[in-house]
Amino acid sequence: MPAPFVVEARGVSRVFPMAAGPVTALRDVTLHVDAGEYVAITGPSGCGKSTLLHLVGCVDTPSSGSILFERRDVAVLSESERSRIRLTRIGFVFQRFFLLPMLTAAENVELPQAEAGIAPAARRARTRALLEYVELVDRADHLPSQLSGGEMQRVAIARALANNPVLLVADEPTGELDDTSGERIADLFDRVHADGTAILVVTHNPTLALRASRRLAMKSGSLVA
Amino acid sequence: MTSLGLAWRTAWRYRARTLLAVAGVAIIGALLFDMLLLSRGLLASFADLLDSEGFDVRVIASEGLPAMRVPIPGSADLADRIRGMSSVRDLALIRMERARVRRGTDRPRVVTLVGRTQSDIGPWTVVKGTNLPVSARLKARAPSPDPSAERGASAEREASAERDRDCPVVIGRNLATAFALEPGSSLEITATPAGVASALPSVVCRVVGLVDFSFAGVDEYAVATTMDAFEAIAAEPNHGDADLILVTSRAESGGGAAAARAIAELRPDLRVYSNEDVVEQFNRNGFAYFRQISFVLSSLTMSFAFLLVATLLTVSINQRLGEIAALRALGLGRRRIAAMLLWESALLVGAGALLALPLGGVLALLLDHILRQMPGLPERLHFFVFEPRALVIHAVLFIITAAAAAAYPVWLTTRLPIAATLRREVVG
Repeated sequence: MPAPFVVEARGVSRVFPMAAGPVTALRDVTLHVDAGEYVAITGPSGCGKSTLLHLVGCVDTPSSGSILFERRDVAVLSESERSRIRLTRIGFVFQRFFLLPMLTAAENVELPQAEAGIAPAARRARTRALLEYVELVDRADHLPSQLSGGEMQRVAIARALANNPVLLVADEPTGELDDTSGERIADLFDRVHADGTAILVVTHNPTLALRASRRLAMKSGSLVA
Repeated sequence: MTSLGLAWRTAWRYRARTLLAVAGVAIIGALLFDMLLLSRGLLASFADLLDSEGFDVRVIASEGLPAMRVPIPGSADLADRIRGMSSVRDLALIRMERARVRRGTDRPRVVTLVGRTQSDIGPWTVVKGTNLPVSARLKARAPSPDPSAERGASAEREASAERDRDCPVVIGRNLATAFALEPGSSLEITATPAGVASALPSVVCRVVGLVDFSFAGVDEYAVATTMDAFEAIAAEPNHGDADLILVTSRAESGGGAAAARAIAELRPDLRVYSNEDVVEQFNRNGFAYFRQISFVLSSLTMSFAFLLVATLLTVSINQRLGEIAALRALGLGRRRIAAMLLWESALLVGAGALLALPLGGVLALLLDHILRQMPGLPERLHFFVFEPRALVIHAVLFIITAAAAAAYPVWLTTRLPIAATLRREVVG
């Protein structure tokens, strides 16, 4: 029996209305990510990778076609329902980390759990476990400004995993890191994948892309391989 | 972490911005608080002044402050009838005349001379020495079952009558300062009735007390004496009609309003005012300007507070759009983000509004001192008076300001396109 899709894009297009005329960022893209699968999308800048990621991650809706997340059509969901899916079923990792600068590493990891209504004791235990997982338990009380880029991204990954998502989406997670830090993030993604979480990563980094079980390439808003 | 906690940490993280906002709101809030104190201050102070006088009904012959005196016809007879009312506890007949006071070779001063019948009440408060002597006649009314006590009372009445013949006076503190007078000092008083050419002889009077006259301006001199002494000074031995009757009502019989109604029914030709009537009239006529000025200035200060906080929050939000878009992408709901911003606004405005209270208090003292230098104002009248309602209005206005100031940034963030913002942040 085939593994169920976590997310599926069916003939998705995304057109942005601009002052100079509409810009088509995605053209009729069809894609699926199976449960526990590790998919990497590569391609030149401006080819629509991030746009596809945002659609799959339920932060945007397609101009045409449909996105099914765990068999539910995202387009018909309300904003609060999509928000709930992002909170509990999807983990986001951004190129620029976007940790809250006024919160410590531990507090950043706790934040999505608090939003999901997890009890404080359980939150603290889960946070500690996640910081151990990303090997940053000794930096739990440090502010983002006191961490290196690689450490910030590891905290961001811990935050993305906070509510046990079925899908981790990452947009250029090594884009702002040196090779060594990038390598460490790639290792961490391997562990996340090995632990059963599906990953969809958009990257320019060939080392990271090579770790994926399936690699796709994009060009001018379309999947080419 | 709660929305309040997040807002607090944000305020702490961006300390310089927080400090600027709080300082700005505190200064604006101090002005607002002062406007609120001013909006009813004069009225409250006026009412307080009236209530502290010991009488709560005044009877006059005509409205306003006529240049020439308008006596109350048949005032002695009216006083007897008022005194017989169950709602009245005490009354005093008041005469006023212009006079000149001289002491030694010092330059004479023009004063308002007040004559009062024997009574405990009068529009002044003793600050040093004693009050004018109370009537022997009034004291003799109380029956005394003890003959020895009666003999003592009789001796006291005689001594009191002797003192009355001495022309005892109480004087305002400014006159005491001008002539270096103390209780026991003497001065010469010459009546100088307005509009009448006269050459009345001077009468030597003895100062028994220094007082604060309730409605005398800081630059006005006033002297009060017994009615007998007043008539001796004014050379009116026939007990002329009073200019004013002051009445103290009995609270258990309905207070000043009831007494004023009863007196007005007795003599419909006169003007009878309870303290409440006077305050109401003052509120209607003379005080509307203060309220209007206060309203306009309060509205302006609130607009400044709103603009300041709204601008700071909007700038702050614009600097954190990526952060907010990321939070939304992570699944934090619009309500959570809105609550965080509302709390942030509440913290800035709340801290500023709290600081505004002591700041406004000090400013009010300073402004009150300046305004009270205006000539002709009663010494005990204040422009800025604290009332609990001012605090309540201050709080309510700032709660509204905080909510209004947060409205635009909240609208901005809740409508934020997450994907487009994240893309812009990365490209930017």
